[in-house]
Amino acid sequence: MAHIVLKDASVEIPIYATGNNSLKTMLLRKAVGGRFGHAGSNLIITALSGIDLEICDGERIGLVGHNGSGKTTLLRVLAGVYPPTKGEVTVVGRVSPMFDISLGMSVDATGIENVKICGALWGLSPQEIEAGMDDIIEFTELGDYLKIPVRTYSAGMLLRLSFAIATLRQPEILLLDEVIGVGDAEFMKKARARLAKIASRASILVLASHSDEIIRLFCTKAMWLTQGTVGAFGEVDAVLSAYHSA
Amino acid sequence: MMTLESATYSGQGDPGAYRRLRAPPPLTAGASDLMAGLKAWRLWTMLGWNDIRQRYRRSTLGPFWITLSMAIFIVLLGAIYSRIFKMDIAIFLPYIAMGIITWGFISGTTIESCSAFVDGGGIIKQIRLPYSLYVLRVVWRNIIIIFHTIVLIVPIGIIFHLKVSWVDLLVLPGLFVVFANQIWVGVVVAVLSTRYRDIVQLISTAIQIAMFATPIMWPVSSVGDARFIADINPLYHLIEIVRSPLLGDAPALMSWFVAIGVCVAGYLIAILLLGRGSLRVVYWL
Repeated sequence: MAHIVLKDASVEIPIYATGNNSLKTMLLRKAVGGRFGHAGSNLIITALSGIDLEICDGERIGLVGHNGSGKTTLLRVLAGVYPPTKGEVTVVGRVSPMFDISLGMSVDATGIENVKICGALWGLSPQEIEAGMDDIIEFTELGDYLKIPVRTYSAGMLLRLSFAIATLRQPEILLLDEVIGVGDAEFMKKARARLAKIASRASILVLASHSDEIIRLFCTKAMWLTQGTVGAFGEVDAVLSAYHSA
Repeated sequence: MMTLESATYSGQGDPGAYRRLRAPPPLTAGASDLMAGLKAWRLWTMLGWNDIRQRYRRSTLGPFWITLSMAIFIVLLGAIYSRIFKMDIAIFLPYIAMGIITWGFISGTTIESCSAFVDGGGIIKQIRLPYSLYVLRVVWRNIIIIFHTIVLIVPIGIIFHLKVSWVDLLVLPGLFVVFANQIWVGVVVAVLSTRYRDIVQLISTAIQIAMFATPIMWPVSSVGDARFIADINPLYHLIEIVRSPLLGDAPALMSWFVAIGVCVAGYLIAILLLGRGSLRVVYWL
């Protein structure tokens, strides 16, 4: 059973300006007894502050909020890449964090080679990749192009390939960050259908989007993030109206 | 007091599935990161191979450029330095060759590990994988390289009539210790240089100096009474356990002791750093 619990989770990100994470600053600070320390004191951004959240099996959560409100940070916490600097996070289940679907692509490798490398990064076993190859060939419609380096691909072709690889694995927890983007109309239809399929099979979906339409389409609950804190959480329409009236 | 969290992994090939545990101490966190990293060997061997292929793609000789350029380098250096030290080229060239090849692995892994996390930044910010995996990728890449150069012992042995004996087999444990050693070195420099960006410069300077301070291009005998400058240098012992079996001598017991001792102590430091780093590295990228 997939399950997510956040207890008072905060993320504070230190910002090291140029020269600030240098050894010199550290040594000088030690040597001169802190005088230089003040000039170069670290800036800390509180990206998330005291988030309490429980997501149970079957729930679909939409994240809304302005740019910089903490949506991506929260998704990264759920993906396990940002350890909370305060509080507690428990995530149970196979997670697919789809933030940048072209993850791990090497331009000089062929399409097939990229399927193997990126597939492994996404956590697929060699057998699963082998078994999914036909699916990728069919979905991407790239044919013989899969045998040549992806550097020769057009942007649209590259998107087809990376999208096909990223969506090959069926996760229990699917994290989406504005994935539904560019591409020709026909491919978009296919891509949406494929995404909808794995989203519906996932036990938990957390999706960050600026589009109300997409949130309404996919989600059962919504969370409005504002300056790293929860503005509202609950039923989709109520949260969206709270967000828009703010 | 802050509660820090870390993740542990269940099952190889499925880095997405994990549970959170309550703040494990750095030693436990570091050790489990390293274990999880080693377990994910399929991934780092694949990424390492891909790095090499990427580097030599579209070249006809491919990775054999590594072999060829090393061969040219060794021949030139062997010819020149054997005259400088007035030594028989049949003794000196194999010596310098095996020294440089081993050194190439040590310096390559150390320098490239500095950017292991920075290069993997895109992945680190999206998918939770053990941090040690990025270092293992660098080490694996360099293992591929050293296997492309160490084969030069065959033509060198034939040309200079090196005797083949059972002692040669000692190169295998020697290589193993050197490989294992460079994993901890890689972890340490990767964590530190991600936090303090000028460590990279410091390391590359140190490596340059170490190359000349270590008996690689000069024989220990050439410094006469001052052979302690070799004996106190752990790098000398690391090189010795690979070089001397290939030249037909069993390495001194002291070289084994120093190499293994440094390795054990190093792993302790590396695991501690990794344990602390695994909670912070992503925020330093």
